[in-house]
Amino acid sequence: MERPETVGQLTETLRQGRYLADRGLSTALFVALSLHRPILLEGEVGVGKTEVAKVLADVLGRKLIRLQCYEGIDTNQALYEWDYARQMLHIRALSEQQVTDDAAVDKLFGPKFLLERPLLEAVRAGDQAVLLIDEVDRADDEFEAFLLELLSDFQITIPEIGTIRAETPPLAILTSNRTRELHDALKRRCLYHWIGYPSAEREVEIVLVRQPGVSEVLTRKVVAAVNRLRELDLAKPPGVAETIDWVQTLDFLGATDLDQANAEDTLGAVVKERDDLDLVRDNLAEITSGG
Amino acid sequence: MAEPPGAAYRAPIVSTLVGFSRELRTAGLNVGSGDILAFCSAMGSLDPSDLGDLYWAGRTTLVTRRESIPVYDEVFRRYFLGGADPVREMLTLKAQATAEAQAVLEVPATDPPAAGREDEQATLGLMASDAEALRHKSFTACTPEELAALRRIMARIRLTPPKRRTRRTRKAPSGRSPDLRRTVRESLRMHGEPAELYWRRRRVRLRPLILILDVSGSMADYSRNLLQFAYSAKRAADRVEVFCFGTRLTRVTKALDRRRPDDALELAAQTVFDWEGGTRIGASLDAFVREWGRRGLCRGGIVVICSDGLDRGDPEVLARAMERLARLSHRVVWMNPHKGDNQNFRPSTLGMMVAAPHVDVILSGHDLSSLEEFATLLPKLS
Repeated sequence: MERPETVGQLTETLRQGRYLADRGLSTALFVALSLHRPILLEGEVGVGKTEVAKVLADVLGRKLIRLQCYEGIDTNQALYEWDYARQMLHIRALSEQQVTDDAAVDKLFGPKFLLERPLLEAVRAGDQAVLLIDEVDRADDEFEAFLLELLSDFQITIPEIGTIRAETPPLAILTSNRTRELHDALKRRCLYHWIGYPSAEREVEIVLVRQPGVSEVLTRKVVAAVNRLRELDLAKPPGVAETIDWVQTLDFLGATDLDQANAEDTLGAVVKERDDLDLVRDNLAEITSGG
Repeated sequence: MAEPPGAAYRAPIVSTLVGFSRELRTAGLNVGSGDILAFCSAMGSLDPSDLGDLYWAGRTTLVTRRESIPVYDEVFRRYFLGGADPVREMLTLKAQATAEAQAVLEVPATDPPAAGREDEQATLGLMASDAEALRHKSFTACTPEELAALRRIMARIRLTPPKRRTRRTRKAPSGRSPDLRRTVRESLRMHGEPAELYWRRRRVRLRPLILILDVSGSMADYSRNLLQFAYSAKRAADRVEVFCFGTRLTRVTKALDRRRPDDALELAAQTVFDWEGGTRIGASLDAFVREWGRRGLCRGGIVVICSDGLDRGDPEVLARAMERLARLSHRVVWMNPHKGDNQNFRPSTLGMMVAAPHVDVILSGHDLSSLEEFATLLPKLS
């Protein structure tokens, strides 16, 4: 579909894609879409940073191009790579046929032997794509520096071929879990939005939108329990993703209400650290008391 | 980039927006002209009379880090609402953020350490033999002049954290994986005959060094020296993070980033808010693990804790925090000044006893020679 024209429209479109965005997130995304600026999303784990990119691509009818960052990621994995094996074979063939003209050799470094990696693919796709650069904080600073050029101009220079430029840039969404501070230069090029935990009321709505058909009583109880868990000072507080998982697990087991027994059995869906488990087990009665 | 609709450039609204951005700048936010431009263009496609649009467009274009959000809220409230309160109801997210903003304002300015003044130091000048004697003199027993001299020597200690292999590769004469790019290029010269294989090898990088310094009352005689040591370390090694704690944890890495040591130490001293107060090691380390450790700050790194282990908190909390810290980091070093030169040191404080099982090395750090000992030990902690 076409670009939405108001913030409200975007919120509605996202809702149709089963993503509930609050006013802040919608506005930020709307501005990013209108101004063709990359947007950096930060927030607690499991609040839907990656998800929003997927849904956005889906509802806008764009292609989602995802680059998962990791330590040591370099241009060969992010940008483009030459297909060396084919080049080798081609060279052999050329030399056997005694072909020596320039054109044949030029072809060696032509588009035919170029392997597209996500960033190049996104630049080529232009505004037909949503580019998700996921967990950019996991990559090292060298890679961050390299992203600067791409994010400001959306152009890529391949020495052998020339400069490839996006007519209209793709919507670039970067996510970070803040395992380290990103460089200011990178932040400068992006819009910024912090996604916090939703209110309990909203979280119920989110679960019901994501998992239609689950009991609302169950959902309310689970959301209340998760909110207690977040107050409990855990090493790894559960995100919205965990809430959804937990509801789904309980629903799968046929539960329509949350009680101490079935909570205990399914705790693994929401608490994922041993020390936390001990703490939660001790307070389980209070956590599952509902309300 | 985008073609900003003309409406946004009608003068009154633009000057209001620019005025607001300037106000933010005054409040300490790093707002560039490019950001202001983005803000104005964003408003071009939104409704400037809608407070919500105004708030969120500004927040997404002018704020670049979470810590700035409370400041932004404050300025927004003052500028657009004349200090009135209704925003709070309109912007549901705010309750917690405002509380943080007020907490920040309470930070009292503690007196900066006056000892390290450049001109006083310059007149001192030490003989080599004095330096040797000073080396084994406990920091507590030193006069201010001697301490100043020690600091200058300390600044010259080189710290090299151990190395680890990264996932990045570099070209090398031999190695594990072939460098196909280079091989193909070179073979082109030889008419397509792959004459020689070229190789790549994993690059090595220094591990991060994380210093967590106790600045509470019982450590008062050591802590300023440790801060100086941290500053030297920061200058010497590649990736160093420094934290201080007494009753609560403060990150001083940014403050130590200054070129001039006096500025850096002064700024760091101002940042730390509980100099020479009580100690809550357990709670502070727990805060470190939660706030920073979990996010990966100390992953694969060397964590150095400088403290005497006199904890007023719950030992259970300390034990848990230490256990988690040990799992998150590569090596944990504990410097306890009370260890002194005693080789058969047994941890006597409760805090030390609880922490000891999770610590790889216990050093003293009470005098210069022990800090040098640490410097020599550091590269071997791989």
